[in-house]
Amino acid sequence: MRVLAPVAIGLATALVAAGCSSSGTDGTTTPSDGDASGEVVNLEFWSWPVGTDKIVEDFNATHPNIQVNLTDAGGGDDSAAKLLTAVRSGEAPDVSTVEYTTLPSLVIAGAVADISPYAGDIQDAFTEGTWAQTTFDGVTYAVPQDVGPAAMIYNSAALQEYGAEVPVTWQDYREAAQTVREANSDAYIGAFPPSELGFWASVSAQAGSQWWAYEDGAWSINIGDDASQEVADFFQGMYEDDLISVEGLLTAEYNSKLNSNEMLSWPSALWATGVIQGVAEDSQFGNWRMTNFPQWNAGDKAVPYQGGSSLVVTSTSEHPEAAMEFISWFNASEEGANDVLTMTGSYPASVVGQELSTSQEVSPLVEGQDDYYDLAAEIASDTVPVSWGPNVAYAKTVLDEELSAAIVNGTSWADAFVATGDAVRKDLVEQGYDVAE
Amino acid sequence: MTSTVTRSTDMVVAHKRREARRPAATLILIAGAIYSLVPVAWVMIAASKSPGELFSTFSFMPGTGLSGNLSDLFAYNSGQYWKWIGNSALYSGLGAALSTLVSAMAGYSLAKYSFPARGVIFYGFLVGILIPGITLAVPQYLLMSKIGLAGGPLSVLLPVIISPFGVYLSYVFARAAVPAETMEAARIDGASEWRIFRSVALPLMLPGMVTVFLLTFVGIWNNFLLPYIMLSDQSYYPLTVGLYTLLSKGSGSPQLYSLAITGAALAIIPLIALVMILQRYWRLDLVSGGLKG
Amino acid sequence: MTTTTSSKVRESRGKSATRHGIAPYLFAAPALFLYVAFIIIPIVYTMWLSLHAYRIEGGGSILGNRVLTWVGLENFASVLTSSSYLTGLKHLAIYGIIAVPSMLGLALLFALLLDTPGVRARPFSRAAIFIPYAVPGIVAALLWGFMYLPSTSPISYVTEALGLGPVPFLDDPGIYGALANIAVWGGVGFNMIIIYTSLRSIPNDILESARLDGATEIQLALRIKIPLVIPALVLTGFFALIGTLQLYNEPATLTTMTNVVGQTWAPLMTIYRDAFLTDNLPLAAAASLTLALATVAASAIVLQIANLRRRRQR
Repeated sequence: MRVLAPVAIGLATALVAAGCSSSGTDGTTTPSDGDASGEVVNLEFWSWPVGTDKIVEDFNATHPNIQVNLTDAGGGDDSAAKLLTAVRSGEAPDVSTVEYTTLPSLVIAGAVADISPYAGDIQDAFTEGTWAQTTFDGVTYAVPQDVGPAAMIYNSAALQEYGAEVPVTWQDYREAAQTVREANSDAYIGAFPPSELGFWASVSAQAGSQWWAYEDGAWSINIGDDASQEVADFFQGMYEDDLISVEGLLTAEYNSKLNSNEMLSWPSALWATGVIQGVAEDSQFGNWRMTNFPQWNAGDKAVPYQGGSSLVVTSTSEHPEAAMEFISWFNASEEGANDVLTMTGSYPASVVGQELSTSQEVSPLVEGQDDYYDLAAEIASDTVPVSWGPNVAYAKTVLDEELSAAIVNGTSWADAFVATGDAVRKDLVEQGYDVAE
Repeated sequence: MTSTVTRSTDMVVAHKRREARRPAATLILIAGAIYSLVPVAWVMIAASKSPGELFSTFSFMPGTGLSGNLSDLFAYNSGQYWKWIGNSALYSGLGAALSTLVSAMAGYSLAKYSFPARGVIFYGFLVGILIPGITLAVPQYLLMSKIGLAGGPLSVLLPVIISPFGVYLSYVFARAAVPAETMEAARIDGASEWRIFRSVALPLMLPGMVTVFLLTFVGIWNNFLLPYIMLSDQSYYPLTVGLYTLLSKGSGSPQLYSLAITGAALAIIPLIALVMILQRYWRLDLVSGGLKG
Repeated sequence: MTTTTSSKVRESRGKSATRHGIAPYLFAAPALFLYVAFIIIPIVYTMWLSLHAYRIEGGGSILGNRVLTWVGLENFASVLTSSSYLTGLKHLAIYGIIAVPSMLGLALLFALLLDTPGVRARPFSRAAIFIPYAVPGIVAALLWGFMYLPSTSPISYVTEALGLGPVPFLDDPGIYGALANIAVWGGVGFNMIIIYTSLRSIPNDILESARLDGATEIQLALRIKIPLVIPALVLTGFFALIGTLQLYNEPATLTTMTNVVGQTWAPLMTIYRDAFLTDNLPLAAAASLTLALATVAASAIVLQIANLRRRRQR
C-alpha cells in the first residue's frame, strides 16, 4: 500500500536498534563456572605491557581446559576508565591489568570482585608490603603482578663523558645537573613534568610525606605538607637555575633527545629499563645503568614504590574460579614469574619471581651491568610503603593543572602542592568520606 | 532590459579579456592555496621517511622508507589498519546514506505539507541544530551503556543517522526544488503520497541530497569524539580513533610514530579524492540561501 | 491565470492538507523517532543525572560503596565555581577573539578574490583551499603539532638557521594563535565556498553598472558585495562560534606536546576528564548541559543580531 514504505523504514530502524544488542550480562547473574563439568572455559583478558601475548600463549599451551583471549586495551590514564565503561555496559573482560594507583577508585565503583576467599592460597607467595598494596581493610581485591621500587636509570656513558659523578643524594643530583649543563648546553640530566603524579608522590613519600594515609577510620591528605613543600622548593630551585627540564616524558621530542645524549637520567623505578629500551636506539644499548634512587639524606636506604600493576577479576565475570587460576599462575607460579621477568621486562612482585631474577640475563640496554638483578633485589628489600586513596585520578589532573600553571607563571611550586592538597581533601569530603584535618 | 540572471562563465570570460590582470590579488590567493597545502605536503613527505629519518632530516626532504612504512602499517596487529578503513567506510557510507534518506523525508514533510504539529516539529529540529554535537556524545554514551549497546558498532552508527542540520538543509532544498503545482498535478492523476515523493520530489531534490550526503559523510568520517567514547574494542575503531591510538602508543615505541603518520597520510587521500570529484555537485548556495528564508 | 489567493483555492489547499493527513507524519516519523531516541532522551537522562552525585554510603570505611544520591543543583554550583571550567572559558574567549574574525576574514577575503575578474589560478586555489576540510580534526592537529614542535618544525628550522631561535608556537601566549591556526586552516575552505556561492548569486547588472560608474573592484567589494552576503557571513560566524565553544580535538592533541595546554585547557576537555578519567559522570552531565545552554544562548544572540540588522535594512 502507498504508505507502507515509510512505515517500513521506520520499523526497520526500530528493529535494527532493538534487535541487535551486543552480548551483555544483565549484571544479576550469579557467577558460575563451566570448568566444573570439564568443559573449556574461555576467559577474556585485558592487558597492555609488551610481551603479555607470549605469556598468555604459554598459559594456554599448558592449561587446555582454560583458554585465555588477550585484548590489548591500551595503558595509560584511560585504561581504568575504559575498564569501568566496559563493566557498566556489560562488555567487561574476566581479568584485567590494573595499576595500584587506580585500584581503589575501581573498587569503590564496584568494578572489581572481592577475591579474599581465594587469597589464602597465594598470599604467601608475596611479601607483606607487596600484598598490602591490594588489600584494604582485610579485603583483597587484586593480586600483585609487578612492583616498582624506586630506582634511577641513567646514561652512564654520557655522564662520564660530561664529567659528572653518579649522584647518591638529591644534592649530588643537583651538582651533576650543573656539570651536565656546563658541558653541553643542549643536554639536561632529566625531566620532571607536572603530569607525573606517581613521581611527585613517590619522591615526597621518600621525604616522609604520605600523600594518602588512612588511620582510625579516616583519611588524611598530606599533599602540600611541610615535607612535600620542601620537595617542591628543591625542584623549583633546580628548574629556575635551568638545571632540569619540565617537558613531558616519552614524547617524540623527549625520545629524540634521549637518543642524542641530551636526556641523561630518569629517576623512577625498576621497570624503567623495559620502558627506555622500547624507545632507545641501538646506539644507546650498553650505555645505560641502574642505580639507587637519590636519597634526601645521605646514608638512607629505604625507597618508596612508584607504579606497578596487579591483576583483578572483574565484578561481572562469570568465571571467577578459572580467572583466579589464571591469575595465580601468572603472578605467583614459577613459570609465570619467569615469564613476567623475561618477557615484560618488569620486576615481579612475587617472592619466587624476585629470587629467579638474580640468575636472569640483563636487558641489552644495561648490558655490562652484571650486578643489575642483585642490586634490584637489594633495592626491593628496603621499601617505604605508599598507599593510594580513592581519588588518585582526580589528584593527578589537579596537580597537573596547578603545577603547570606555577611553571608557566613563575609562581611557587610549593603553593601548587598546597592547592592540590586542598582540592583533593575537599573532593574526598564531598564524596562522603571521613577526612582528618 | 535588466536581467537578473546570475552571472555565467561566459560573462566572466568576457571580463577577463577586457580587465587588467591582478597580480597582487592572485598572489594573495595563491598564498592561501599554499598555506592550505603545506601540512598535507608535509604529511605525505613525512610518510616517506623511515622511523630513523623522521626526526633527523629536514621536514620537507623526502625519505627512503615509504615502502617499509606501508608494509609495516598494513602488517600492524595483523592488518588492523584495513579494519579501521572498513569501519570508517561502513559508518560513513551507511550512516550518511541512511541519514540522507531520513533527512530527505523529514525535510520534504516539513516543506511541502502543512499539518497541525508542523510548527512544533520544525522548531524542535531547529533547536537540535543549536545543541553542540559533541556535548551530545557523553549523554548518548550514558544512554547506550544503559541499554547495553555501548562498545559495539551500533553505538556509533545509530546516533549519526539523525542530523538536525541535515533535516534543515533538506527542508530548504525541498522548498526550493519541488513545486507545489507539480505535486498537485500528480495527485490529480491519482498518485499516492509515497509515489509523489519517490518519483517527483526525490529526483528534483537530488542535487541537494548529494550535498547533504557529502556533508554527512565527511562529518562522520572525520568524527573522533563519539567513536572514541563509545568504542572499547580496537577492531571497531574508525580511522580517526585508530590513528589516535597509534599515536598515543607511539610515545612508548617510536616506530609507531611513523606508522601513525603514514596512516594519516593514507587516510586523507580518499576523502580528498571524494571531495574533489564531487565538487561539481555541491549546492552550497542553498545553504546560505536558506538563511534568508 | 492570476495568482491571487481566492477563498476557494485556500479551501482546497486546506482540504489537500487534511486529505493527506497521515502522510506527512509518516515521512517525518523516522527522523522524529531517531531524534527522540538519540537527542531528546539522552538530554533528559543527562538532566536527571546532573541532579545526582556519587556519594559513599555510610562513611568511616576505608573505601566504601558509591551510590547515586540526589544532590539538587550542587553539581551546577560546582561547575559555575570550578576553576577548571572558568579558566577553560577564559581560554575559549581569548581563542575565539583570534579564531572567529580570522576565519571570517580569510574566508571572505578568499571568496572575494575568487569573485574578482582578472585574478588568475582560481580553480587551483579554490580546490587547494578546500582540501583541509577533508582532513579529520585530529589528524590536522597532529600535523600542525609536528609543524610547531621545535625539533620537527620547518619554520623553526628556518628561523634557527637564521640565528633567531625556534618560534614559540607552543608557549604562552603563542599557543592561542597556534590553536586558532589549526581551526582556521581546517575551516576556511568550507566557509569560503559558502560565501562564494552567495557572491555568485548577486545579479550581474548591479555590478556592471557600478563598474561603468567607475567603481574599483575594492569599492565594489566594500559597498556592494559584502553588504549583500551578510547572511552568509552570519552563517559562517555562527559555525565559527559553535566551533569555538566546542573546541576539543586541537587542544587534546597538543596537550601531549606542551605543558601550556593542560588536561583541562578547554571546557570540553574538563567534561571528558570528569566523565571518564575521574569517574564523575554527574558533574560531567551538569557541565555538558551548561555548555549546551551557553551555546544555545550565544547562537540565539547571533541570530537575533542578524535579524535586527535585516529588519533595519528594510
